Amino acid sequence: MAVEVRIPTILRKHTGGAKAVESSGATVREIIDRLDGDHPGLKGAILAEGGEIHRFINIYLNDEDIRFSGALETPVADGDVVSILPAVAGGR
Amino acid sequence: MAREMIEHAQAEYPKEACGMVLGPGGRLVELHRLENVDPDPVMRYNVDPKELLRLTNYMYDKDWDMAAIYHSHTHSPAFPSATDVQLAGYPQAAYILLSLSDRQRPDLRAFRIIEGNITEMTVERTPNGQV
Repeated sequence: MAVEVRIPTILRKHTGGAKAVESSGATVREIIDRLDGDHPGLKGAILAEGGEIHRFINIYLNDEDIRFSGALETPVADGDVVSILPAVAGGR
Repeated sequence: MAREMIEHAQAEYPKEACGMVLGPGGRLVELHRLENVDPDPVMRYNVDPKELLRLTNYMYDKDWDMAAIYHSHTHSPAFPSATDVQLAGYPQAAYILLSLSDRQRPDLRAFRIIEGNITEMTVERTPNGQV
């Protein structure tokens, strides 16, 4: 399944400045695994050491936050758009 | 625009208010008040992820960027906290901090936060002291 992955500015240092890249796979996890081959460092910025999504990274498949739809095992279809977005968060 | 941020912060008090300013090439064009969905909104902020996606797609289609992210501190100075720095995921944005620790005299300061380093930006003020 070929998908478009939209990259936030902070991670574009891993994509040569590209704001979107192509990847493929049957699930979001496979998409991210494959991304790391072409763009080293990207996976480590998205996933924590245990292999789960960093707490302050949001991943959307089209309009759905994958935390609510099967997380990294969420299946993807041809033409889907995966968006990676750091949370806008903080506190005193 | 600073006045609108301060109004927003006052309206949400004692919760932290948060929002974004979007525009082309870092210009401050559109201010969006956003919902703070953090479970502890008096101490922290977290922009509603659905709104974040909606605005990100909006910017993507217009080729705009996140020019500024603002939030209020209701009991501490207008300076990025350790949590703010740790979670700063938008190096292209100005992080605007509003302090309401004295509600009669709101303070507003702006910073870049890049890889843990804080740099203060100049905020222009009108002669009567309004930001």
